[in-house]
Amino acid sequence: MNFPEGLKYTREHEWIRDDGGDVYTVGITEHAAEQLGDVTYVELPEPGLVLDQGQPAGAVESVKAASDVYAPIGGHVSEINQELERRPELVNTSPYNDGWFFKIAEGNLREFDTLMSSTEYTRFVEDLDE
Amino acid sequence: MRQTPLLDQHKALGGKVIDFSGWALPVQYAGILHEHAHTRANASVFDCSHMGEFRIKGRKAIDAYDALITSDTDRIKPGRARYGALLNDDGGYIDDLITMRIDEDELFVVTNAGPLDRVAALFAGNVPGLADESADTAKIDIQGPLSRDILVSIGLTTAAELRYFALARAQWAGYPVLVSRTGYTGELGYELYMPNAAAVPLWQKLLEHPGVAPAGLGARDTLRLEMGYLLSGQDFDASRTPLEARQDAFIDWHKPFTGRAALENQRAAGGYSVLAPVQTDSRSAPRHGFEVYRDEDAVGGVTSGSYGPSVERGIGLAYLPPELAVPGAVLAAGPRRIAIEVTELPFYKAGTCRN
Repeated sequence: MNFPEGLKYTREHEWIRDDGGDVYTVGITEHAAEQLGDVTYVELPEPGLVLDQGQPAGAVESVKAASDVYAPIGGHVSEINQELERRPELVNTSPYNDGWFFKIAEGNLREFDTLMSSTEYTRFVEDLDE
Repeated sequence: MRQTPLLDQHKALGGKVIDFSGWALPVQYAGILHEHAHTRANASVFDCSHMGEFRIKGRKAIDAYDALITSDTDRIKPGRARYGALLNDDGGYIDDLITMRIDEDELFVVTNAGPLDRVAALFAGNVPGLADESADTAKIDIQGPLSRDILVSIGLTTAAELRYFALARAQWAGYPVLVSRTGYTGELGYELYMPNAAAVPLWQKLLEHPGVAPAGLGARDTLRLEMGYLLSGQDFDASRTPLEARQDAFIDWHKPFTGRAALENQRAAGGYSVLAPVQTDSRSAPRHGFEVYRDEDAVGGVTSGSYGPSVERGIGLAYLPPELAVPGAVLAAGPRRIAIEVTELPFYKAGTCRN
């Protein structure tokens, strides 16, 4: 399982990347995508929406399951991945690149710093499997 | 977890094994969407060895069985099968089942894994001379438009002559195999019953054919849901009757069966909720356990729901009050209140099962 270094991770299995310029990209981890199986539908937040950390910011559905997606940090939605509407399978095939969900601008850096590192998230997932 | 004779095959094929009604079975191999599409276009094999099988021999035993179930066994000619149900005294479901008449004096009955212990006990207590062959019998389903040609190619030539819901005894590699032209996908297909020892060689032989791929419980579920076929223990249980599940067509009212009086009372009283097909206009799907709302009032519940890969939208089954269970009625479902519309079955209309 691949959890790239440099990204931060949440207990709800989102990843978030600091793109610089106070913009952050959010998606779901390879572990989450594999647990869901074939992703069939992604609901994304409205651009401009102001989010608090942990607030529901969308949903992801697969053939056999559905779950909410939460804001890893507070900020406002600056961009969404509209390609997912047409090609939700990108979440499975490219969870950290083409399968990104949305971007957060003016994100809360202090909240970002408290999230799990790659190593911590790897351990978190291993503990779940036990 | 209980194991079928094919468990090692599933693991070797990369199957993701889960607990299904106490059985270790594959939910998927390559992925549900792929397996679903492959079944509709080619042919897939499914391990259904977890299901229950019973053999009933002799007039007395057949009559005793007939008195329990909703199907009139006299109407089932040798070499034919009929879908029916086993109910409790209140008319609630114990299980649904398929009754096959092997010959004049012998029935073969197929039931589900979930309620198997209860069904087996009930049969054992009421049907003299019944044999529970569940533990000794493996079941492989081959489903998809290529199924007929594939069975013929491996020597099960009887498949070519079977009409829908017909069956025949055959031999394969020295093993007795019962071939039944039935299934749970809506496609042309067959269900093969064999001794456990035949399961691995027959499974491997079928997979040698380039048109065949393995499919798991996940694809089995989306395929059956697109046809509106019910799942025992999920779309109905002891709290639901066949009238509520809208299975009236499979009740032979001209003969006695357990639960009949309760069903007659329910039918006369009317007003009961019924299972209705619902769909969304997006890829978002209703899910098992979702409440159904009209305005803000909870009026029913979704029993099965999924993305329908062949119809490319969310589909499901929901118990609704009769006045709302009419095609065109628009309701909302689940915590996000997704819009659902009552429609008609099947969701998927291009199935090849009768071809």
